[in-house]
Amino acid sequence: MTKLFSNMTTQKKLGFLALVLGFFAIFAGSPYDNSKITINAKDLALMAQKDADNISVQQLADWIIKDNFDFRIIDTRSSKEYAVYHIPMAQNIPLSELLDQNFYPTDKLILYSDNSEKATQGWLLLKAKKFQNVYILKNGLNEWKDKILFPKMPTKPNPDQLTEFNKIKEVSKFFGGTPQTGKTGEQSQPQVKQLPKLKMPAALPEGAPRKRRKEGC
Amino acid sequence: MSAPFFKFGLFGNEVSLIVAFIIGIGFGFFLERAGFGSARKLAAQFYFRDMAVFKVMFTAIITAMLGLFYFSWLGWVDLSLVYLTPTFIWADLAGGLILGIGFVIGGYCPGTSGVACATGKMDGYVFVLGLFFGIFAFGEAFPWIAGFFNAAPMGQITLPQLLDIPYGVLVFFVVLIALGGFLLAEKIEKYFAQKDAGKAL
Amino acid sequence: MDPTIDTLSVPKTETNKKVKVKAAQPYWNPYLSGFGLGLVLLAAFVIMGRGLGASGAFSTVVASGVNAIAPHHASGNAFYEGYLGDGTTSPFKSWLVFEVLGLIIGGFISGALAGRIKKTTEKSEHISFKMRYVYAFFGGALMGIGAKLARGCTSGQALTGGALLNVGSWIFMLMVFAGAYGAAYFVRRQWL
Repeated sequence: MTKLFSNMTTQKKLGFLALVLGFFAIFAGSPYDNSKITINAKDLALMAQKDADNISVQQLADWIIKDNFDFRIIDTRSSKEYAVYHIPMAQNIPLSELLDQNFYPTDKLILYSDNSEKATQGWLLLKAKKFQNVYILKNGLNEWKDKILFPKMPTKPNPDQLTEFNKIKEVSKFFGGTPQTGKTGEQSQPQVKQLPKLKMPAALPEGAPRKRRKEGC
Repeated sequence: MSAPFFKFGLFGNEVSLIVAFIIGIGFGFFLERAGFGSARKLAAQFYFRDMAVFKVMFTAIITAMLGLFYFSWLGWVDLSLVYLTPTFIWADLAGGLILGIGFVIGGYCPGTSGVACATGKMDGYVFVLGLFFGIFAFGEAFPWIAGFFNAAPMGQITLPQLLDIPYGVLVFFVVLIALGGFLLAEKIEKYFAQKDAGKAL
Repeated sequence: MDPTIDTLSVPKTETNKKVKVKAAQPYWNPYLSGFGLGLVLLAAFVIMGRGLGASGAFSTVVASGVNAIAPHHASGNAFYEGYLGDGTTSPFKSWLVFEVLGLIIGGFISGALAGRIKKTTEKSEHISFKMRYVYAFFGGALMGIGAKLARGCTSGQALTGGALLNVGSWIFMLMVFAGAYGAAYFVRRQWL
């Protein structure tokens, strides 16, 4: 048997190898199977411990205003909640569809939900798929509404706090929010406004943030 | 392992151009090794005299296909990150037909014409001029044929997805077609070699 | 196993030239060449996440040419625009352009090693040089159109897409063989 094999020419050997490999391929399952992930538990635990991938609402607001647009914002909530209000430029992608997207592992993604739960779950999924630049909006939309859309002025502000608040007021207005000066002590329920018309489209076009290079022939 | 390396950010666009150059050298090298710098050898395929085009093409296809399949199975490559040209039925059909006709008339294809020019074939240079002209004509006519160009889009779709057959089964099938084709090709070459020898007598 | 020396394919060397030309060596076994090619393709998949290509580089040249002569016209045309990019980088800084440059060098190296660098025209003895050039130009033009329609050529669509079991690529490949075999009869004097 071995003599027969060694007598074969190189090309016949290769052909035989191809046949064997091809045969075993039948039993190997689909290479596009997305359902399995491998996790480097230690690394992930360390990163989670260090809060390494959190970004604050102020930071995000800053990036959006500065037109620093090399990232995608992903709203992980339901489409109904998304329709009521979402952060400008955010795309609505529920967790179940997160891994089906055409993202590159190097894309910069910022996930948010109402607080941090869904966003953190999404973070775990993407990190397991070896994504390198995934961030969680710390305390999510609740913090966004609280600090950016409807920032409250401190009751007896000193000069520093006042200048700080004036800056925040501008940011808030940029996003169409209503700064709560609370002068008359009103505690009326703030209206959640619809998205103000910003220069950039409300949702990212297909293939953003950066135009994908042509990959055809 | 994080592969495809480029898509995991292992290196940037500048380095990818160097990678392109090196891969290109390998590409051109093996094309010429096979004799594909010669229009006569390429065209001989379509007269059943020399089945090298079929042999080289399908050997390359099953090598890369099996390699990628098993690398993916081992978890070494994320296949979903490898670019798949979207399918547009009419454009692919018509384009293939026209390209095939052009192939046997011109004697080269874009890749092999590069090799032909590198090895001094004058008809290779003329072919390249024709290639430029054809692309230019296409570009000029594009506003009118854009509809046809984009007709019947099926997106990025593989044969296993379309036929709803397990991927591995189709891999085996392609290997069988290739190996069977090789055996047949050897027989065809022998037959026509004898026929030509008989005619020459 | 002796590689078959195919008289159709081995170029004849001229013995009356003053310069010593290395005798042309027979071509490699097609299966081994194909295996090597397959490994190169696999490398492209694993390193870049894309396959090989060729026609795209030629398209970039054409698009740049049109842009140089008539920039308004080029920017209004979706086809040329695709190859010119957004103007921030040179269109020649494209993966395919560099790959094709490498292809030419690689072909030259292989040819030089095998003594196959020679100024020649490939044709049978039944047609004239002029007719061969006419056919070459016409064939090239058809091929340019076909390659752009199909979004690839034999390297990009057939080889790359074939290995990926891409539907469009297999359709394309079958049609290429059909078209070539179908038209072969009509140009047989050129080759046989």
